[in-house]
Amino acid sequence: MLKYVFKRTYQLIIVFFLFLVSSYVLFDSIPGNAFQNLLLNPQLPPEAYEQVIKLYGLDKPLSERVVLYIQNFFRGDFGYSYKYYPKTPIELIAERLPRTLMLFAMVNIIAFYTGFLIGKILAWRRGSKSETWITVTSVFSYTVFYPWFALMMLWLFGYRLGWLPIGKFLYPEKWYDAPFDSDVVFMSMIKFVAIASFIQVLAYVFTRNIESLSLRRNIRSVAFLILLIGSYLFWNSGNQNILRPYAMDIAYHMILPIFTVTVVAFAGTALLTRTTMMEVMKDDFILTARAKGLSQKRIRDRHAARNALLPVVTSFIFTIVTIIDGSVLTETIFSWPGMGQLILDSVLQEDIPVAMATFSFIGVFALIAHFIADISYAYLDPRIRIQNQG
Amino acid sequence: MNILEVRNLNMSYKTIDGMVEAVKNVSFSVKEGESFGIVGESGCGKTSVAMSLLQLQADNGEITSGEIIFDGKDIVGLNESELREIRWSGISIVFQGAMNSWNPVVKIGEQIREAIREHYPNKTKDENSKKIIELFDIVGLDQSIMDRFPHELSGGMKQRAVIALALSCDPKLIIADEPTTALDVVIQDQILNEIRKVQQVLGLSLIYISHDIAVIAEMTDNMAVMYAGRIVELGPTKDIFSNPKHAYTKSLLESTPSVVGDKVKLKSLEGEPPSLINKESGCSFAPRCPYREDTCNPSLDMKLVEVGIDHYVDICSAGKSQ
Amino acid sequence: MKDQKDISKQIRREALKKNWTLFKQSKLGMIGLYIVIFFFFLSILQPILFATGLWNKGVYDPVVGYSEQFQEFLVVECPTEYPTEKYDSITDCPGRNEINVRTLFYSDAEVGDTIIQNLQPAPPSSKHILGTDSLGRDIFSQIMEGSQVAFILGLLSATLGVGISTLLGTIAAFFGGKVDAYLMRQSDLILMLPTLPLLFIISAFAELQVWHLAVVLGTIGGLGGSVITIKSQALQVKVKPFVDSARITGGSQMNILFSHVLPNVAPLALLFMVFSVTGAIASESVLSFLGLLNIDMSWGLMIYLAQVEGFIFSGMKFWWLILPAGLSVTFLTGGFYLVGRGLDEVFNPRLRNR
Repeated sequence: MLKYVFKRTYQLIIVFFLFLVSSYVLFDSIPGNAFQNLLLNPQLPPEAYEQVIKLYGLDKPLSERVVLYIQNFFRGDFGYSYKYYPKTPIELIAERLPRTLMLFAMVNIIAFYTGFLIGKILAWRRGSKSETWITVTSVFSYTVFYPWFALMMLWLFGYRLGWLPIGKFLYPEKWYDAPFDSDVVFMSMIKFVAIASFIQVLAYVFTRNIESLSLRRNIRSVAFLILLIGSYLFWNSGNQNILRPYAMDIAYHMILPIFTVTVVAFAGTALLTRTTMMEVMKDDFILTARAKGLSQKRIRDRHAARNALLPVVTSFIFTIVTIIDGSVLTETIFSWPGMGQLILDSVLQEDIPVAMATFSFIGVFALIAHFIADISYAYLDPRIRIQNQG
Repeated sequence: MNILEVRNLNMSYKTIDGMVEAVKNVSFSVKEGESFGIVGESGCGKTSVAMSLLQLQADNGEITSGEIIFDGKDIVGLNESELREIRWSGISIVFQGAMNSWNPVVKIGEQIREAIREHYPNKTKDENSKKIIELFDIVGLDQSIMDRFPHELSGGMKQRAVIALALSCDPKLIIADEPTTALDVVIQDQILNEIRKVQQVLGLSLIYISHDIAVIAEMTDNMAVMYAGRIVELGPTKDIFSNPKHAYTKSLLESTPSVVGDKVKLKSLEGEPPSLINKESGCSFAPRCPYREDTCNPSLDMKLVEVGIDHYVDICSAGKSQ
Repeated sequence: MKDQKDISKQIRREALKKNWTLFKQSKLGMIGLYIVIFFFFLSILQPILFATGLWNKGVYDPVVGYSEQFQEFLVVECPTEYPTEKYDSITDCPGRNEINVRTLFYSDAEVGDTIIQNLQPAPPSSKHILGTDSLGRDIFSQIMEGSQVAFILGLLSATLGVGISTLLGTIAAFFGGKVDAYLMRQSDLILMLPTLPLLFIISAFAELQVWHLAVVLGTIGGLGGSVITIKSQALQVKVKPFVDSARITGGSQMNILFSHVLPNVAPLALLFMVFSVTGAIASESVLSFLGLLNIDMSWGLMIYLAQVEGFIFSGMKFWWLILPAGLSVTFLTGGFYLVGRGLDEVFNPRLRNR
């Protein structure tokens, strides 16, 4: 067993290494470089361009640069951004990441939850008229041409109806006198959401052992209520009180992007849940559950859906991996300055250190997500759990 | 007192190829504390009868006519919530392939608890745990099984657990549909003994369905022989074994090897059971009947005729009981 | 020997018929099929119309055609402040058949006159079912051209991708060991790269045309995660008894591969192909939308043009520039996806309704 883990890790490192090299070469092969604009500026002598190139080491041959980069990478030195000098890629990522996370964490949670719910109901109502057209609608939600749809949403809610802001994540006018950066507000918002969800999950886990169904439901609702009241008090107290209007501003800007992406995202989960549920429903233990005299709802939720959860959760985790990939379009259209925009800009402007850093980040992220997926799979499926323990 | 009376039950499945009449004009009754067997080859409709009793037939199946009177009440026309009350606490069932009856991600104990909770919502957790331990005692399982997952149990253990599950809500009637088919003979013997013990101790009625005529002989007081969706012979087990009247019953008995006695060459029937799709009335066994005579007219109507004390044979009006 | 071939052909024909009956039962699959057929019909309609002369190429060509659209317009004067009793906001003036006197440079017309102008983009009319774009090109013709592009690109990249992943997957399953490990790591590598940024990079250093894009998409798709899935399917087949018996009776590796493993992997591969088409069409549309493709005409390009020329926020006033293209992408990809679902029901009996 240990030997296998060892072999796998060693292969992983090689893959990552290749990944870095190929990424660097790929970026470098884009014609031109980040400093070409200097040549166009008539006020600068051509020597200025030469100097800048030398300064950034871009005059060295590719092979040398790759080696240097790898060396520095494993030492933890990621260089400086070409465009945003003297910011380092890490600083940029740290700045942009919370914004993307905030948006897409919310989206994924809502989409997963709604998708699972709808998929569950769809599979249970197999063959009825409503099932067919709801499924077809879900399919078209899933395949809708995203940029077009996002633009339509933007036009409808931002322009025509004027209910929601058109892009960006805050109104600059409101923030002129702000005592702090948007990052600070973001961090506190993320912390808040994280803690709130954590408490909710805890409440859920602790009430699992209560025998009576109605009592369980009541306690969970009470817990949720307490959470709501707690949040209200929290945001009205002391320091948070000052933060609140700014947080509200950001939240207000988040509504439209979250809604738009959720519409597209939930459909994927709904369709997957539906397919998995349909397979599970043919199992024998469903028949036993019916024979026991359980209600349809209980059979659907406790028996069928619970077994359908496995593949859906796995796909959910893999969706998290593609957050940044998917955010590129959204952030471009909604002018939301997050990781997606960072990648796009750094690639198009040939800001190699930033591009490399973001790509590596995604790569590592993907690996971690795979790992988490494996663990959660073992947790959810007791058959695998026992295998790993015994 | 008859705990169950089935009168002229008809059940069909809707398929692309037509209506499959799986249960044709089936009538029988089961007394309190009695053990009743249904025997027949695969596809003869015995499982369909069992499913009809609990109205658990597949989505494309429906009971087209007949009555099922359980404990004095006809349960055919009941709606879903009324049926749910009867399921498990009135009639429970041990399925064919009971190994797959368990939800793989929920512990055994919890799955039994769930059934009890549904029918006795006011009991406490401790009361339920005690009940489950009692049930496990009856079927011969250790109480630690409660906290295990289904895949951690062997086939025999799962089967016993299924029996415990079937008993959990104190039903009056248990249907056992080939509960030992997938097990080896040693375990099979144990399970059969368990079932018999349980039945005697608790005074339950039992409907035992099998294709194995030997087991039926051992386990049941009364029995029915089914072929192509109809009951062809019905009566006390002893009578049917010592004096079989229907040609099919005779063939069935003749095809079972015996451990004792001289070695006899086994007889088997030619041909196959008929298709059940859009079947007209008449004798469905005629094509294969080894006692067929020239006077036999297969298209005549069939009905049950008494040939002995409570002993009935499905026969056409022109037929003679041999 | 000849009889054997005939028999196996007959078996295959019957299996095909049976699968088709099953597919017909799937409501989703049939809806999808109708949609795909509709768009296919659109894509072959255009060359037919040109060939038979029903459509004058000079007017209706989606890229270089030009159609004069003379319309009657009422000359009005747009106020400087809104809302007024006639107009709610600045986008309402000038209205559908009105023209702002301040935009008339070469005319002496006054407020209240009706003049005839050739204004593109023109709304739908009897000559142009979906109107024209800002360069006077027929929208309907563009939609049909886009349909051709979608089909060619989608099917090309899907076939390539599935071909590669099936081949690699089966090889990985059968030869195991180092070959398997290498192929799996390669898939991991591809999976780690974010697709969209990758496409950006590629489009940045190579001017991509439709064919190039198809090859790129096919290769990336083929080398990625689908190899892993096909490999696990092939593995399941490998351990089946009939493979051992094939070996014992003297079948060579290649023979087993082709006559036993491939047919079993085929359903999964077919499914992948259908879903790859949806991905390919979507990717092309996104890239065109961002202006990164060197392509004459496609649906994504239509929306790109609409956006770049500023018609998006005019909302419903110029709907024919935005709606048909967006809906086409949505429906065609949706159609292929539904067909995939239908195929799923054919191959997986548990998903069927009865």
